[in-house]
Amino acid sequence: MGHRGLRILALLASFTLVAGTGLVDPAAAQDKPRHGGELVFVVPSEPPSYDAHQEETFGLIHPMAPHYNTLVRVDPFDKTGTKPVPDLAESWNISKDGLIYTFKLHRGVKFHDGSEMTSKDVKASYDKIIFPPAGVKSLRKDAYRVVEVVEAPDPYTVRFRLKWPESSLLLNLASPWNWIYKADLLAKDMHWYEKNVMGTGPFTFVEHVKGSHWVGKKNPNYWDKGKPYLDGYRAIFISASSAQVAAIRGERAHIQFRSFSPAERDSLVQALGPKITVQESPWDCLNFVSMHHEKKPFNDKRVRRALSLALDRYEGSKNLSKITLVRDVGGIQVPGTPWATPPAELEKLAGYGRDINANRAEARKLLKEAGAEGLSFTFKNRGIPHPYEPVGIWLIDQWRQIGVTVKQEFIEASAYHPMLKRGDFEVAMDFQCGFIVEPDLDLPRFLSTSDANYGKHKDTVIDDLFQKQARAMEPEERRKYLRAFEKRLLDEEAHVIYTLQWHRIIPHSSKVKGWTITPSHYLNNQLDTVWLSE
Amino acid sequence: MWKYLLKRFALMFPTLLGVAVVTFILIRVIPGDVVELRLAGDRGSVSDEMLNAERIKFGLDQPVWRQFVTWIAGAARLDFGTSMWTGSPIWDEIRLRFALSFQVALMSTIVAVLLAIPLGVIAALRQDTWVDYTVRIFSIAGLATPSFWLGIVFILALLILFKWLPPMVYTPIWVNPWQNLAQLIWPALAVGYRYSAVATRMTRSAMLEVLREDYIRTARAKGLVEKLILSRHALKNAMLPVLTVIAIEFAFLIGGLVVTEQVFNLNGVGLLFVQAVAHRDYTLIQALVMLVAGIFILMNFLMDIMYAWLDPRIRYR
Repeated sequence: MGHRGLRILALLASFTLVAGTGLVDPAAAQDKPRHGGELVFVVPSEPPSYDAHQEETFGLIHPMAPHYNTLVRVDPFDKTGTKPVPDLAESWNISKDGLIYTFKLHRGVKFHDGSEMTSKDVKASYDKIIFPPAGVKSLRKDAYRVVEVVEAPDPYTVRFRLKWPESSLLLNLASPWNWIYKADLLAKDMHWYEKNVMGTGPFTFVEHVKGSHWVGKKNPNYWDKGKPYLDGYRAIFISASSAQVAAIRGERAHIQFRSFSPAERDSLVQALGPKITVQESPWDCLNFVSMHHEKKPFNDKRVRRALSLALDRYEGSKNLSKITLVRDVGGIQVPGTPWATPPAELEKLAGYGRDINANRAEARKLLKEAGAEGLSFTFKNRGIPHPYEPVGIWLIDQWRQIGVTVKQEFIEASAYHPMLKRGDFEVAMDFQCGFIVEPDLDLPRFLSTSDANYGKHKDTVIDDLFQKQARAMEPEERRKYLRAFEKRLLDEEAHVIYTLQWHRIIPHSSKVKGWTITPSHYLNNQLDTVWLSE
Repeated sequence: MWKYLLKRFALMFPTLLGVAVVTFILIRVIPGDVVELRLAGDRGSVSDEMLNAERIKFGLDQPVWRQFVTWIAGAARLDFGTSMWTGSPIWDEIRLRFALSFQVALMSTIVAVLLAIPLGVIAALRQDTWVDYTVRIFSIAGLATPSFWLGIVFILALLILFKWLPPMVYTPIWVNPWQNLAQLIWPALAVGYRYSAVATRMTRSAMLEVLREDYIRTARAKGLVEKLILSRHALKNAMLPVLTVIAIEFAFLIGGLVVTEQVFNLNGVGLLFVQAVAHRDYTLIQALVMLVAGIFILMNFLMDIMYAWLDPRIRYR
């Protein structure tokens, strides 16, 4: 092996160690922030409109989040992306009965037009999100069903009154989508923010050239004194992954905040050596298999369990992580986050045990009992290379090993979601991506009443367990309900089959400091803590 | 001649109408829905109520014929509506991309013409000599090499040899000519080479054919200077098929450089086309198809004028 090979191995080993152990505190490990410079980053998508309250794509969050603040945010240095810290709120308290959340706001916060931000603006923004008037779209209003009213008793206090206690509310208020807008502008036109930018964030808007780039410059009057460190930033929209890699490799861009594939990471490490730093994290995105419960034989839980038991997730993790964006074996919460299932407990679930031969023997037995020996079906998969296609091929190979014959049909990306909604499948690849790892946000789609319950399972036990965990105020009690929910969903009833957790890989210029990877590509894009070392 | 041109001009409109009808129907036949795509995003869970509200907003709840009547009424006033994906006026979406694509097409055409006409003429004049063989190898290689592949080779060569990459963002030529050319010269060379290959071969065969014509023999018999025979009699007549090829290729380049645009990250019409189809952005797809069809039809019309200028038989018909 030559010097270059050794260097690559050493680099790979070093970032794997950092990413794997999580021992390095990014804030502590980095030097004193340096002011100046323009951060250039690549965005593989583009904002459809400018209003985060009505959009779902990171193509909006990445270039635009630096113009705004939220009431609460996720700690930009927390690798689990689950710790709420103040943003526009200076502090908060929660009433003993858990029904009133009171936030005290920072004073002297200015919008980019120089006007002061007060509780009136926070109330107007949350009223738009939670209680949108007719004709105004708000994609996440259902996540705030618990909120009865938002009040602004004085200019620097905001109060949320709840219908029932909900332990996840604080994290939900840290949603990266909940930008605080100016009340006066909303009062004049509720659609104003769809085409305009006016926030309190660390960077002001300069220009957006459609299909090309987005530019922001430092807000000299930013309320968090001393920040931001950068003079500005430039987001370049590049859809082709080869061109994204070329931009980083040619040092035309510092970073891309979504993810690269393992092969792209390796090529960048090989080409740039110490000029590149790699951060990795389990990703709050997942492919799972939905089976249509109204179609035989998938109405039989023995068949569903057999299909889960056939999967050698641990071996699959080793092999698939080399070629696509998946890695960890996980349960209903991202591994390494507060509500994740400990590995020892996970191994007790059907299909998660280490003895794959025993699992597959049980799978064959279950198929025989269900009269589904020699089962064959069509598996509908989304026509997207990563990670859908390799994961789909892996699934088919695993099922083949218990005597199941599967034909794979790729559905073009734009026809895929309608296909799921119509229920036009026996077995299909499904997916979800969250912005914060939190059971209340990740699990509602598995409720019997959910619009996204494409397999159409009816399970009142699942519904009840979800309610109980959501209202449990003690962590241990909540954990107990979550484990029961997970066992019911993935093992006893096997309503769905989880594959492997997505894995986020961010190789970036070593000049970029003050940015920490989290499990969500929607988080940590405000850029107020980011700086360039040269 | 005016009658001939008027007839050609009038034919443009039914052609455009036909394109409009076929496109309008076809894009609604393909599966997928802009509303679901836009709202489902990465997370994929939206209520039917919200989906229906959006469909009503875009008029997608109306029968197709009514949607077409609304669209054609707007198109008659040159109002192609707003993008269903971004909500911006269609013209805003297309304007910048068109400027870039037009410039790349123009630069590629210049590269192609500068290579093709001299090489084609020389190859024809030196038929079956080493010069002819070299030109033929050069042009066949051009035909066999996809321009996006050549683009990738250019990028890798620039990265590896010069540790330099063309700018990633388009700068209009009147803002910064150097920056503009530094970005666009590479795709123009990559595309222009393939384009020139087609035109070289056409020039060569057309020249060979013309050089065997009776009027060339007559000109030579009259004692005309060879240079004059070639420029005034041979080349002018040989240019008819060559111009057709150049015009068709030029029109194709406006919307057809999808992969090359991706390789060089060019914010052009081709890439916009792909995005519009991927998003099922009906209004944008319709406008782009009309734009490209319009350019093809316009180029065809210009060719008709050129034919009339170059060929007196058409002029005096």
